[in-house]
Amino acid sequence: MRIFKVIMLFVIIPGLALGAISCQTLKSLTGPKATLVIAPAEVFLSPALFKKPVTFKGSGFQPKEMISVEMVLPPGLKMKGIKEGEDVGIAFATADENGNFTAAMAPTATLNWFFQVGWTPLLRPNFKAAKPIPPGVYKINATGLDSDRIATSNLKIVPPPKKK
Amino acid sequence: MRKACIIFLSIVLTICLSMVGFSSSSFAKEKSVVYLSLADYTGPIAGLNVPADKGTEDYIKDINAKGGVDGVKIKFIGIDTRYDVARAVSAYKRYRRTPKLLVVNSIGTGIARAVGRLLVRDKRVQLTPGDGEFQAHLGSTFIWGPAYQDAFAASMDWVIDDWKSKGKSGAPVVGYLNWDNAYGREHLRGGKQYAKKLGIKMLPPEFFPPGTLKHDVYLTRLAKAGANYIHAGGIDPTPTNVIRDAYALGLTKKIQFTTGYWGPTALGLSVHAKALEGIVNYSFFLRGEDTKMNKAVTDLWKKYRGSLDKLNGVYGMGIAWGMTYVGALKIALNSVGYEKLKGVDMYKAYQSITGFERAGIQGPCAYASDSRRGSREIKIYRVKGGKIVPITGWQKTPDAVSLHKF
Repeated sequence: MRIFKVIMLFVIIPGLALGAISCQTLKSLTGPKATLVIAPAEVFLSPALFKKPVTFKGSGFQPKEMISVEMVLPPGLKMKGIKEGEDVGIAFATADENGNFTAAMAPTATLNWFFQVGWTPLLRPNFKAAKPIPPGVYKINATGLDSDRIATSNLKIVPPPKKK
Repeated sequence: MRKACIIFLSIVLTICLSMVGFSSSSFAKEKSVVYLSLADYTGPIAGLNVPADKGTEDYIKDINAKGGVDGVKIKFIGIDTRYDVARAVSAYKRYRRTPKLLVVNSIGTGIARAVGRLLVRDKRVQLTPGDGEFQAHLGSTFIWGPAYQDAFAASMDWVIDDWKSKGKSGAPVVGYLNWDNAYGREHLRGGKQYAKKLGIKMLPPEFFPPGTLKHDVYLTRLAKAGANYIHAGGIDPTPTNVIRDAYALGLTKKIQFTTGYWGPTALGLSVHAKALEGIVNYSFFLRGEDTKMNKAVTDLWKKYRGSLDKLNGVYGMGIAWGMTYVGALKIALNSVGYEKLKGVDMYKAYQSITGFERAGIQGPCAYASDSRRGSREIKIYRVKGGKIVPITGWQKTPDAVSLHKF
């Protein structure tokens, strides 16, 4: 019997302590499920993206919290200013009273992260130095910066249509 | 059986204690604190930000080489946001749980406004250029020097003095030309009211998008409206290019051009020295020939960067950021010690560092419980013989922030 008390002391109590630590992680799993919709979900890189930028709509976040929308870079993809293994922020927003948000990519974000332009001393984007992001399916995460809730979706970047 | 159980439990206990022990900072080999720079190293304002952050990084490197602050080393983390707010928010998200992250320097007003909301929640200090709003609504964001409008107001005092010294009667007419964004408009939020109080006639301001190639249309409009002085705003090389266009139009002969904090540096002078000759610049940190005369700046540059040929005045500004951080860190460590040190202690320390000197690179620190201004003084410079030389000593700036309703 005594041995069970010892087990209680040395196994269950530390187990509870570790459980409490991981509660922070679990916090993001509780509450409503966060969702993310990308419009359009499939794009090709063109100047039209400055007039009609990629837009993100989400729900299930904490009211009034800030949301960071990030693109997960696949291994081996190098991006100017981004260290390997880092995600790149492409939009941000504040959730409304119902935990919904809408965010569009700002022109600077489209230039820096999709076209990967250089910048001239005149503060103009330099398309000659551009290294556009390769076509592919990119994972996009929207994270609530208070709740840690994460919603995920995919953005497909396709090659531009061939000129006829 | 019983012996086996005890051995098993001992192993479990050892593992548990090790997990707790290794995650605890008390077992860390080195005491360290963190300074995060949400910077621009490859984007549109990299030309100014790179030398500034070099100054901060070199200063911190030097402090660490001497053993740190009371044995506490400082870790400088520089993030290239490419001047993009979404990237800055995401980068802060990545680093916000970094232990002992005490101060975040946000390179632009847009970044500061977005990230500032998170920093308030995280009880950390934010540094940012010169938006007067952060003085009007006191919080955890501190500006680098006097607010933009304070410095613009001081330049209006100089305009009046210059006008009188030329024997002119009445009040001068002043034109204002700047970027069409929050930064470009900030100078006038209180600065316009101050100019009016002095009797100066301010022409309707001209705003243009960053990246504009030619500024002739704006300059011609201001000249035709009778401007005696024109403030050329933007971040260099924009002011240099505005004055280049004014020179080509023949306007620099009859109109005195002035520029602000981010006006021409050695870089602009190396390309357009002729056009810039005679222009006036006001600054809260040492520039041009003054920078070359400051031993703290030149010694550090020579130690880490070599020849003084490429020394830029903004390098000194970066050193001043580092000095302020170190000064505040000393106060915070004295107050609570390393183990208990948190962002909120640094916030208190930044408010109690009033009067702190930074080797004369800028005026005495003006941070206080009721002030978020990094200093109150500016110096006025003129381009003479292809060099940026001071024409005044340090001058206290008026409080123009209070003249605007935020």
